[in-house]
Amino acid sequence: MWFGVSCAVVALAIAVPVLGQIDPLPPERAFRFTARALNPQTIEAKFTIAEGYYLYRDKIHFSVEPVTAGLTVPPLPEGKVKEDQFFGRVETYRDSLIVNLNLENAAVGQKFVIIAESQGCADLGICYPPQAQRVTVALPAASAAPSRGAPNKSWLN
Amino acid sequence: MKRWIAVGLVAILAAAAGAYYWSSSQTTRDASTLLGLSLPDTSGHQEAMSQWKGKVLVVNFWATWCAPCREEMPEFVKAQSELGSRGLQFIGIAVDEPDKAEHFARELGVNYPVLIGGYGAIELSRTLGNRVVALPFTIIVDRQGRVAQTHLGPLKPSELRAIVTSLL
Repeated sequence: MWFGVSCAVVALAIAVPVLGQIDPLPPERAFRFTARALNPQTIEAKFTIAEGYYLYRDKIHFSVEPVTAGLTVPPLPEGKVKEDQFFGRVETYRDSLIVNLNLENAAVGQKFVIIAESQGCADLGICYPPQAQRVTVALPAASAAPSRGAPNKSWLN
Repeated sequence: MKRWIAVGLVAILAAAAGAYYWSSSQTTRDASTLLGLSLPDTSGHQEAMSQWKGKVLVVNFWATWCAPCREEMPEFVKAQSELGSRGLQFIGIAVDEPDKAEHFARELGVNYPVLIGGYGAIELSRTLGNRVVALPFTIIVDRQGRVAQTHLGPLKPSELRAIVTSLL
């Protein structure tokens, strides 16, 4: 029995430091994007940001398909100010970001795709390229349940 | 007793599998796909990676929007200047717009080629171990054209020196 226990201890002793290396989340899990209709004119867009990860405020952009829905985006809330050697003053978000988007020409029952572009980094010293996440939202008479779309990465160039 | 031995063995096997998986950054894979790439520099001129074959290559994927990438680059400039004559060659592959990469490289006094990597180059980094496709990602290639090491995240200067000097 002790042989077994000591084997397990040795195995753990080997595994723990090895597994302690960088194990970053894929970007769509580090920065989860969801959107839901609050009413026929308002879409709640939400980023849920994993602990140890952050998004750059000036890299967040929202758009809608079809564009005829007339999306208006309010000013994003203030983030945590960080001094960047190259870019100067930048703002970041941690934990979560909720933005209420306005649809000017939306019709009840119509489906829209909300596209959220974002770019973020992890405290462990890595950054992810800009990504675009798409969520389809229907505008029912009553408020809809949150839905999550498949991640859809986009790259510079 | 038997059950404990079985548990111990399973744990050892799991740890060994984990150790193998996580140490897979130290490999001797063929870097021919990487060396077969041709990428534009910041002014649009195509550069074939094969021209640096035979040197110890440190191929670093970076971007101006990646602060950890920018922070480690002065060390690369220093190492290139000190060890370049012994056959060390850094190559920066910027996942960025050419003018931004050019501006930053000039500001920092980058003394090695900066190429612009598109989707293909990034996808290649995924096949070479960059599972979450993040930056900085560095591939060290030996003189025989084999991938000696890949690393996601900033490289410690001491770690970088140890690896490259063992290959020079």
